[in-house]
Amino acid sequence: MNESASPKVTERARNRAPWRLALVMAFAALAGSILLTGASVWFLGAVALAGLTPAAMTFNFHIPAALIRLFALTRTAAKYGERVVGHRAALTDQVLRRSTLFATMAAAPAVRRAGWQLGNQDRLADYLDDVEDVDYARLRVGLPSVTLGVAIALLVVATSWLIPLAIVPILLLIAVNTVGARFLARRAKSDLAAIRESRQTASRLLGAAVQAVVPLQGERRWDPMLNEPFEGHANAQARALVLRHRQTLFDMLANCLAPCAMLSVLVCAWLSGLRGEALLVPALLAFSWLAVGESVLGASKIVVAFARETAARAALAKWTVNADGLSRDHFRKHISSLTLDGLPRHAPDGRLIGRPLSATFHASRTTVLHGASGCGKTSLLKQIAGWLDAGDECVLGDGIGLGADARRSMSCFCPHDATILADTVRENLFAPHASDDELWRALTTVELQDRIGAAGGLDGWITQDMLSLGEAQRLNLARAWLSDMPIVLLDEPTEHLAAEQGKRILDALLHRLRERIVILSSHDELTPKGSAAVRLQ
Amino acid sequence: MLKTILNQRGKRPTGANPPEAANPGAPAPGKTLRVARGLATPGLRSALALQVARAMLRLAFIGLAAMFVGRMISGNASWPLLGAALTSLILCSVVGLVGDRAIAKTKLKVANGLLEAVRRALAAASPGDIQAMPLGTLIAGLQRYPQAVAGLAVGHCLASMMLGLGPLLAATAIVAVSWEAALALIVLTPVMIVFFVLIGSAIRSGAEAQEKAFGRLAAQFADRIRSLPTILGNHALAREEDKLAVRLDTYASGTMSVLRIAFLNAGIIDFFSSLSIAILAVFLGLGHLKLISTPGFADLQLWQSLFILMIAPEYFAPFRRYAEQYHAKAEGLAAAAALDALVLDARPGLPAFKAAIRTRDLATKMARLPQTGLVAITGPSGSGKSTLLRHLAGIGSTLSVQPNLDAQPGVTWCSTDIYVPEGTLGDAIGWGNGPCCRTRLLLAAGNVGLLDDVLLPAGLDALIKAGGENLSGGQRVRIGLARALISSRAIFADEPTAKLDPANAAIVRAALADAARGRLVLVATHDRSLAMLAGRTIDLDVGNRQAGERAA
Repeated sequence: MNESASPKVTERARNRAPWRLALVMAFAALAGSILLTGASVWFLGAVALAGLTPAAMTFNFHIPAALIRLFALTRTAAKYGERVVGHRAALTDQVLRRSTLFATMAAAPAVRRAGWQLGNQDRLADYLDDVEDVDYARLRVGLPSVTLGVAIALLVVATSWLIPLAIVPILLLIAVNTVGARFLARRAKSDLAAIRESRQTASRLLGAAVQAVVPLQGERRWDPMLNEPFEGHANAQARALVLRHRQTLFDMLANCLAPCAMLSVLVCAWLSGLRGEALLVPALLAFSWLAVGESVLGASKIVVAFARETAARAALAKWTVNADGLSRDHFRKHISSLTLDGLPRHAPDGRLIGRPLSATFHASRTTVLHGASGCGKTSLLKQIAGWLDAGDECVLGDGIGLGADARRSMSCFCPHDATILADTVRENLFAPHASDDELWRALTTVELQDRIGAAGGLDGWITQDMLSLGEAQRLNLARAWLSDMPIVLLDEPTEHLAAEQGKRILDALLHRLRERIVILSSHDELTPKGSAAVRLQ
Repeated sequence: MLKTILNQRGKRPTGANPPEAANPGAPAPGKTLRVARGLATPGLRSALALQVARAMLRLAFIGLAAMFVGRMISGNASWPLLGAALTSLILCSVVGLVGDRAIAKTKLKVANGLLEAVRRALAAASPGDIQAMPLGTLIAGLQRYPQAVAGLAVGHCLASMMLGLGPLLAATAIVAVSWEAALALIVLTPVMIVFFVLIGSAIRSGAEAQEKAFGRLAAQFADRIRSLPTILGNHALAREEDKLAVRLDTYASGTMSVLRIAFLNAGIIDFFSSLSIAILAVFLGLGHLKLISTPGFADLQLWQSLFILMIAPEYFAPFRRYAEQYHAKAEGLAAAAALDALVLDARPGLPAFKAAIRTRDLATKMARLPQTGLVAITGPSGSGKSTLLRHLAGIGSTLSVQPNLDAQPGVTWCSTDIYVPEGTLGDAIGWGNGPCCRTRLLLAAGNVGLLDDVLLPAGLDALIKAGGENLSGGQRVRIGLARALISSRAIFADEPTAKLDPANAAIVRAALADAARGRLVLVATHDRSLAMLAGRTIDLDVGNRQAGERAA
């Protein structure tokens, strides 16, 4: 991933500008609200004191009044600006992050191993939650905590300069709040982990139960089987309540900070012997503290969002351990034979099975892998496709060693659970250079022409939900038909198809691919014309 | 997140709710919302009372603080006032804490209640209905929907009640000092509401336009992550990367243009609340300088004008809190609709239901099953073998004629979709059989050839993954058989030999025939060799033909 490092750096630099602007806006908004409150109070105090004396007639109220209006407008405009600019920055970040994340995920070995977990809706939903938690962390955690921190620091400095005595209770309050925040962050971390854990366990149990609903109902065990998953959910809720209780406790602490600081400043000013006019500046300061208090209102949310971000980053990092990219070094347009020379075979769970396999596949002759389900047919196809890193030195193309990278770039692998992308039919066929005519021929071969015609033709938008399993499988075969790779690997190509139709389509597909090396797996004894068979034990 | 899930479901939740589609102005609340509201009501009352008490105490603190400051600057620090202010602050915090906890607890109650309702609905549903549910969406939804609905039924509901009460309380507090100032605030409100309405409709139309233009691009990232293996297999990664970047960008700018309008909502509240402070400060200041003589603004003490100034923002705070709940409302409504569509609303009869009626006659005839022996239900595929088997087991049909199963200790099911717990092979075989010794487990496992399976080494200690995902269909059937052999219950087997290789199929047939010597074994099968072993055969083809002839 070295070559992609430099564009990422420049993107980072480019994207700093909106965040800087957002920060400026946030400061302006906070300063506006502090000054609006402070200045209004100072102004009222000043005119009230002046009103008692003849100075009332000469008091210049125009400037303070104008300032107050200015602060009011600044506050409104800057708050709006902060929201818009902040969200724009976050969205720009999101686009960049998700594009990079997609590329990194594509290089993750987990994608190529058995069972793509993010193909499951519930795991995908968890994953997206994590992505979102990281996406908005800067907006939810970074921006507010920086603004708040700076504002509090400034007020602390101002207080220690103007009313040194008041700094003691204020620092004490801040210390208590800091301890509270750390405590909450630590607890939130373990609470969130526990909640996630029990939800995932519950989901797993429920999933297993739902898949076995008929046997369970037959054995009269369906109702009790639901207990455990729903208890898991209830436990997660209870734990969430515990976290929420801790949050409210911290919120109470945080909400007291500003009013207590305000009263401390005033009382200490009075105790320092300040009277009358001299109290106006401390009053301004005191009400500034109160105005900051408005922004502290969601303090516990910031802490929890921080804990979520940390957890989400850790969860996301797990996916991309040992990520390896794809190099296109050894691409060859055509090979006439592929030889496995004592390839050690692995079961889906990585265990070695059977004796090492030796076989030669020829370009003019399709090979069918037979064997009971679970004997490692899919794993063997993935090994040949270079998706599983095993036995690199045992695969030869035309007698020359082919590494996993080379095989990956030379083979079209059609997994049996291939998905339909939410996109147009044209994009779903993955053949950007093919003509419309060719695309239609592919669709006709897999007997989808009417279905696609009804769905809006090549530029009609399709989703997974719109197609039945059989239709999805046939579209998948159309992709293989259009592929120009020298090696084509088909995993259970006739699954979900009626026997007659499956045979028709497969024969047409194999005719089209007759020049290529084609290996397909089948658990029912499928034997297309002129094919060789390999039985796996 | 919820939005993403819903988008992926292709808008089914909204589409599946005809009353809403027919009458978008006043959507009829679905069952979920009715249940949630019912659960929330008792907690809401005390939560609302606590919120009101907190608002009053906060007003008291602000008012007392303003009085204290005003008098102090006028040269007269009143310590009892300070004490009162501190007391009200502490009380306000404590009541706030209790109130927040009451809200959290009510939300929990609602969420748990909804989960319980879903549980009951699932427990009562027929297998056909359950299999028709999108499993992934159901599981992801159960983790998120109940909380989202609770947020709507509790959080949003409270905020809207406080929207009525909060400003009223603040205005009442100001009336105590100057009713003219309170009137000014109240007069300002309709103007603000007009703005609200205008912007609200702008947001709605903007969101609709965006949905129209970019709706398809909403969940592209999720969709591409889901499809990664397919994309890799077809060498489409580079192209999909480029497309994704462009589409995310387009969608982000579309979202931004809606947000720009949506934030105006909060902007208006900020504007009015800032403006009210600015105007009040200037007016009250002019009053102090005796430059204006408007009653209610002139001849006030400093503490009185400070009081008005500090309470005024509180008048607007409930509006802001309500606006913040906008998201909670949208998410809650979407989640409620989704839960309705998923589980809680009654669904129409499914084809299986009709098949059940068709097999009712047969089932009545079949009500006398022997106590022991192998009975095979045969017939071409689609003739209702499995349906009859389910029917005889009394699964999921109200029409079910109860055969004489009640006299027996129960049924052990045996098919490729049996439940297999995570753990070891021994656990899987022993599951549901109570405590049983290792020797019996070994014996049963050996009988069905599970001990010398090359794909499942390590005997009884072989590891089984969650959901039995590392098991083949044949292994599952054999685990079911071993389980049945340990128990003394009747065996109901649905296509036990389909999709098995010949060696496995032979083992299963032999084990079934062996078990039939001591108990009833009922199989639905199209495997001739298995049917040959049966002491009695029910041919559905014959049955259906006769029924057809009778009808003709």
